[in-house]
Amino acid sequence: MAYVATRGGERAIEQSERLFREEMGGFDRNRVNEVKQSLPYLIDRVMGEASLYDEDLAALALAQTGGELYEAVLLLRAWRTTQPRLQVATPIEQDTLFTHRRISAAFKDIPGGQVLGPTLDYAHRILATDVLQGETYAPEPVEPAAEPSPAYQPSVSAWQAENDLLDPPADDATKGNEIPDLTREPLLFPSKRAHTLQSLARAETGGVLALGYAAMRGYGQAHPTVNELRLAEAEIAVTHPDGRQFSAGRVKVSQAEVVDKKGEKLGIGYGATFGWNEVKCIAAATLDLNSPGAEKGSATEEEFFLYHTEGVESSGFCIHFKLPHYVTFQSSLDAIRDAKAKKAAKHTQPSSSEAVGQTKSEPAE
Amino acid sequence: MDDALGTLARADAAKLKSFAETLIPDLGEIEVLQSRSGLVMLPIRDTAGGVAFHLGEVLMSEAHIRKGDAQGYGMRRGHDLEASMAMALIDLALTSNVRTDDCAAFCDAEAAALAQADEDVLRRVEATRVNMETF
Repeated sequence: MAYVATRGGERAIEQSERLFREEMGGFDRNRVNEVKQSLPYLIDRVMGEASLYDEDLAALALAQTGGELYEAVLLLRAWRTTQPRLQVATPIEQDTLFTHRRISAAFKDIPGGQVLGPTLDYAHRILATDVLQGETYAPEPVEPAAEPSPAYQPSVSAWQAENDLLDPPADDATKGNEIPDLTREPLLFPSKRAHTLQSLARAETGGVLALGYAAMRGYGQAHPTVNELRLAEAEIAVTHPDGRQFSAGRVKVSQAEVVDKKGEKLGIGYGATFGWNEVKCIAAATLDLNSPGAEKGSATEEEFFLYHTEGVESSGFCIHFKLPHYVTFQSSLDAIRDAKAKKAAKHTQPSSSEAVGQTKSEPAE
Repeated sequence: MDDALGTLARADAAKLKSFAETLIPDLGEIEVLQSRSGLVMLPIRDTAGGVAFHLGEVLMSEAHIRKGDAQGYGMRRGHDLEASMAMALIDLALTSNVRTDDCAAFCDAEAAALAQADEDVLRRVEATRVNMETF
């Protein structure tokens, strides 16, 4: 691919950005607050794909870009590079998650039971058009139980391992700066498992779903059953300068395990992300489940799905095609002209000097 | 895990700042070592392979102060340098035995409020528990 430097158009460029922003209108802190409060699942999706957790920043990015998701995520990814890293928190363990939703499609009687939490899974999908006629949409209030649900729930996969249904995970004492980090290291293949899961955690939701769905429809080796799905809040366990550990707050996280029979046991795949985004986690876990032994170039092969679900890179590559490619396109036209000339020469068998003379010139690029 | 620090990190920001301000005259001269916002990388354990991997970074505010040999530290979610400094002031007061009863009372009150909020959430979650029937 070749590029050519172009000049001119500065005024057009400036005015085009003004046109975009003027049509969207101004915004202030109130707009940011409204976005944050009214669109929590969109905020979660943006935070997950940006790999940066802060609702205010995510709402600001959405307000500033008019909801253009790729631009919003790019803004946040760019902003995070300007910030110092204060610490690496202690890894979150599943049994420390403050759990809002926990379900299993594999077993009805999982240890701790199943709580649906907030979901539209069983809702009628009816557009509330009355709102457009001036009505106010007022949801029915929840009727709280007399006793609270347990904040922390045991692991389904640990229970399965105890019952010899799957192999228990290996011990991993890696912590702090020893944990592989894609933001500071290149993604190389075969990928480290920590890189694979980090990449899926920050991947573009639609991309992960598309490839995960391909595996679910049969273009993979394993059909997923959701072993456990959780929407929860996780503690950010940090260290005081004097060595004391404490929770510096909570963030929303989602995680999913999917399983499939594999010989005499179950194979298991895993996916997790910032925010509550269960579609992404189930699709990511499906790709993880399917990736061992996947055919090169297939949707479930890790190099394929990791490269093609990285939203900032893929959207950036896609939109770069609209930028001037005058030299490469001119080269293609030259090749077409040459082919036409050769074909004409073959049919008419004119002298070489006549063939050159018949070639039409193109307008200036 | 230190419960008092955990409570201060999630305490109501306005109450935290208001209470910490009352400690300043009693603490006397303090040295501010750090007051900034930045990112904390948050890893999670994969339950399939057992590997710790990074979910991403969280915006945090941090304050680190010192008075003699005692140090105070605050870290809270989001960009609010006043709140992280207020947390550090209360931590410094506790470690240097300044108005410890008042600080402990503040922590207890905030811990109770946070526990109540958690219970309210979990009672709503419990309302969605599925009691499966086999037939």
